[in-house]
Amino acid sequence: MAKLSLLWVDTPGLEDLDPALVAKAAGMALDQGGLLEAAVVTTSQEQAPAAVRQRLMGLPVAWLELAAEVGGGPEAHRLARAAVAVSRAAGRAAKGTLPPVYAPQPAQSVLVAGAGYSALAAAWEAAAMGHPVTLATPFDSVDQAGADDDPEAVSLLAAQLPAQVDLAPNSELTRLTGAAGGFNAWLSTNGDAPQTYGAVFLAPSGELVVGCEVDGLDPALCRPVSGLNPEDFAGPEDGWLHVAVLAGTAEAVPSYSFSAAMQAALALAERPKVQVSLLFSEARVAAPGGEKLFRDCREAGVLAVRVGPGKLEVRQGGRELAWADPLLGEELELAPAAIVLAEQATAARPAWLDNDLLVKPWDELVPDNPRLAGGRTSRTGLFITGALRGTSPGEARRDEAASAAAAMHQALTGKVVPMPAVRDNFCASCLTCVRTCPHGVPRYTVDHIQCAPAGCVACGACAAECPAEAIAPPSWGNPEMFSSLEWGLALAPEPKMVLFACAASGMPAVTSLSAQGHQWPAGLVIYPLVCAARMSQLLLLRALEMGAQRVLVAGCHPGNCRSITGNHKAMAKIASLSGELAALGLPTDALEFLPLASNQTRELASAVRAMAQKAGEE
Amino acid sequence: MTNAQLDTPVLILGGGVAGLAAAVDLARRGVAATLIEREPRLGGRASQFCCKATEACARCGACRLGELLAQAAQLPQITIYTAALAVAAQPQNDGWQVDLAPQPGGEIGPGAGRPLRERTTLNTQAVILAVGGGAFNPAGKTRFGHGRVQGVFSALELEAMLSQGALGPDGLAPAKVAFIQCVGSRDASLGRLWCSRVCCGYALRMGRVIRKLLPDSEVTFFHMDVQDYGRAWEDELPLMRHQMRFVRAMPGEVTAGDGGPQVTYALAGEQAQKEGFDLVVLSVGLGPPNGASALGELFGAAKDDDGFLTADGGPAGVFVAGAAAGPRSLNESIVHAGLAASAAAVRVASLTEARHG
Amino acid sequence: MRLNDCDPGFKHEVAAEPGGAGIRACFACAACSARCPVGANRPAYDPRRIIRLTLLGRREEVLASPLIWLCSSCYSCGEVCPQQVRFTEVLTAIKNIAAREGHAPPSAKITAELLAKQGRLLEVTDFENDKRSGLGLPPVQQRPEDFQAILGLKPSEGEAGEEPR
Repeated sequence: MAKLSLLWVDTPGLEDLDPALVAKAAGMALDQGGLLEAAVVTTSQEQAPAAVRQRLMGLPVAWLELAAEVGGGPEAHRLARAAVAVSRAAGRAAKGTLPPVYAPQPAQSVLVAGAGYSALAAAWEAAAMGHPVTLATPFDSVDQAGADDDPEAVSLLAAQLPAQVDLAPNSELTRLTGAAGGFNAWLSTNGDAPQTYGAVFLAPSGELVVGCEVDGLDPALCRPVSGLNPEDFAGPEDGWLHVAVLAGTAEAVPSYSFSAAMQAALALAERPKVQVSLLFSEARVAAPGGEKLFRDCREAGVLAVRVGPGKLEVRQGGRELAWADPLLGEELELAPAAIVLAEQATAARPAWLDNDLLVKPWDELVPDNPRLAGGRTSRTGLFITGALRGTSPGEARRDEAASAAAAMHQALTGKVVPMPAVRDNFCASCLTCVRTCPHGVPRYTVDHIQCAPAGCVACGACAAECPAEAIAPPSWGNPEMFSSLEWGLALAPEPKMVLFACAASGMPAVTSLSAQGHQWPAGLVIYPLVCAARMSQLLLLRALEMGAQRVLVAGCHPGNCRSITGNHKAMAKIASLSGELAALGLPTDALEFLPLASNQTRELASAVRAMAQKAGEE
Repeated sequence: MTNAQLDTPVLILGGGVAGLAAAVDLARRGVAATLIEREPRLGGRASQFCCKATEACARCGACRLGELLAQAAQLPQITIYTAALAVAAQPQNDGWQVDLAPQPGGEIGPGAGRPLRERTTLNTQAVILAVGGGAFNPAGKTRFGHGRVQGVFSALELEAMLSQGALGPDGLAPAKVAFIQCVGSRDASLGRLWCSRVCCGYALRMGRVIRKLLPDSEVTFFHMDVQDYGRAWEDELPLMRHQMRFVRAMPGEVTAGDGGPQVTYALAGEQAQKEGFDLVVLSVGLGPPNGASALGELFGAAKDDDGFLTADGGPAGVFVAGAAAGPRSLNESIVHAGLAASAAAVRVASLTEARHG
Repeated sequence: MRLNDCDPGFKHEVAAEPGGAGIRACFACAACSARCPVGANRPAYDPRRIIRLTLLGRREEVLASPLIWLCSSCYSCGEVCPQQVRFTEVLTAIKNIAAREGHAPPSAKITAELLAKQGRLLEVTDFENDKRSGLGLPPVQQRPEDFQAILGLKPSEGEAGEEPR
């Protein structure tokens, strides 16, 4: 393969910059072909000609968003910023830190542990992309539906399973370590020997439980929605049989649960002389068809009763219901012949998940984080779908499996996956990286740290925390970062400032602003990060030491970090350092964290402006 | 004049979050796709949405557009044309032949995509319709005064106002803000008998943003039922009930008053009353895509009873992603696009296999 | 009040009456109450409340209520209703049941008598017709027979075998 050196493509917005000057400023010459092991292209990938892109496919390429990093302003300043960007990329290539990259292995095997619709959908999806799949199910056969599944959909999907799905019946996953490309999974049918898988789907079958209805009801009157047989009900000729359907009276239920309760109410209302009262605190009609079902219920004679959450009283030994009707302002009572209770889908969490030494706590593994939607977890390559995750029964689970499978396939066959470099002779085996990595990549095996081959996203949390500088994702070690930061700050005019920008929030905002021709302050060095997790106290202090008067870290809002706690960690470091700044004779607000979303360009511009103003005043 | 010719395994119509997510998911599966967007810019409706974080991320998903645009720009399997409209489509042996016409106004912007410059004929094996849902035009509910009464805005307009910083200490500072829910949804009189799913979520979150920007402001939420909206929603609701005033009543009308719009509503057991606000926001619902009938004609795409597009019962090789198939939040649309990408990828693989083997 | 003591059949009875079909569609959004001009003057008159009592099956309470006769038939409620309940017509259905069971107020009886006698509430005299002819308009015909037929006081012309005009 041809060795590529620095490649400069005409880029809109950079026409006035002389590539030779940029290269010179960056401390290297354009014709220094042998310098670069990897290709460094000084433009964004999308702006590179198709032929170049084609040629570089599969190579470890550092595509620089140079147009964004350079931005507007006087030519000298833009030149300086371009030089920083180029030197950073060249530096990491020269130090050989782009490799090691994960060598792609096509179609690694995938373990699906679970049962029912979600598990079958995951197995089907993984197999459709050519992965050997093991479907470990606790049941005898794979077409057994979960209580919350549509049995017809399950048997249809089970019949469509391709032949390369290896079925492991009566088998449960009992322990799991590792991450994408290198999971060790212990199956109950496999004794003590773990099997290796590239990716794991955890999709236990769902159960239906009566969630939040009132206590104290007479059990003889009660039955869950799923246990209802409407045929059992018929009123007398000369009167009415009253049935109450409780669908979220203590606390509103999810819309799929409300829809099921409405189906039950409708079926009952169609029986002769049965009067159904549907009691709820909120009519959750957001499921597909929910509003129509609600209207059908009313048209069929179902009485819709809104009660304040938790305001339903139980009397007469649990045989009578009483509530204040908000519309009439008076108390109503009902002695129903039967009470039907709404149910919610849930799945038991496997016990091995609660081992915090092997797996992150649940809230960090499956946080309610938009970046981890579609079955993803913080552990790369581990997908948790269906009832265990709380995904609504039905088609949403099919969507989830498809979305997760695409991410799985990419992780296992991706062309450029970073792989943390570990310097064993520096490593003190303190396991900080093992505990810190949000994605479960480093493991301590035998006598050294071993990284799962496809799990790293280069967030840099390990590099930020490692006390021995022994581990870092390629190009994110302290030496590379310090040297490129030094280049940038040396070239920047006073007052010097650094903006560390996270790739998911700060950097896209920088890119949009630059594209709009935003004028950055002259002394601003923009330093892109994959995640704010890479911020270390050392890096913050070095930036100040190298002459920066102000440092701003633009990361995601709390709860939005793809690496879960990268933003929290950066905030905590800045907060604790800020207390020490006065002792160093520095302003206490020299370090700041800006929680940002990728579309909050205005907020970023004004924060940078405020920072520049404060720096200029000193 | 003959058209330029293009071959692509998958054609995606629509450059909003669903279309971009379908393209990215296809690329993750190793399948190349061409995405066309009829507007000069990518992003669709989400490009107008504001971030609704206050102390923490509100999980609205507005930021995910930036993530998708960046990914689409980096993945070599994705080709994007903006200002491109599908004007004709014919089924052929194993797919579709689609004629694309350039639209005015295309400009090269940053990131993914470049404008279509000439009429192009494109051969594809699968088509994903990701054209987005249509937002209800609040002028269709004349009694709420949109376009007539000053100070009445649609929620989409509020999104843009918040994005641009028009509200806050440096801009408009309304002391009293009202949100009116279910404008154009849960409404049989408009033939829109569905819940739009997303409005409770966006309205309460924007209400919370307003309360943060203007701590002295008062936000009222006129609604019938608060719908569920994601995992942490039930935990957040009690707090929001403290931050905002929840009124369970649909207003009768919004009229112009001396100081601003006046909302007429009736509380249970009380006489109807008029209350003045500085800003009234109509939470408009999502409906079928605006171009649904044109797409129906082009691709023979099937529609459900409400007019949303569906892949069920439609022609072979046509799939639907996102809010075009029914009301969906941004996050849901992105996940939903995964299934369309899966179906398209499987079709492309089986056609390729049939051709070579 | 116990729902067991109410009459769940009442809502179906109203729905079966001409004009009453929309009653069960109500989901209590209160838009009608907000717009009702009668309610604005008589707080006790609240369309939503009447619908609620009907749906609960509080038959006697609704039929005997003097409030149901207060509607001015302005149709504002129907215009704002998102569920097409058409409350003005629903209320007519309720009033018809009430009248059949002897709950009609004296004013309703007088109204019926006037219609039966004059074919309209206001008697048309030469005064009105003179004014109309001065404006070039044809005289107004009083046709009490139609109303007598509606009110069951005499068979309609159609039923009598004549071609309806």
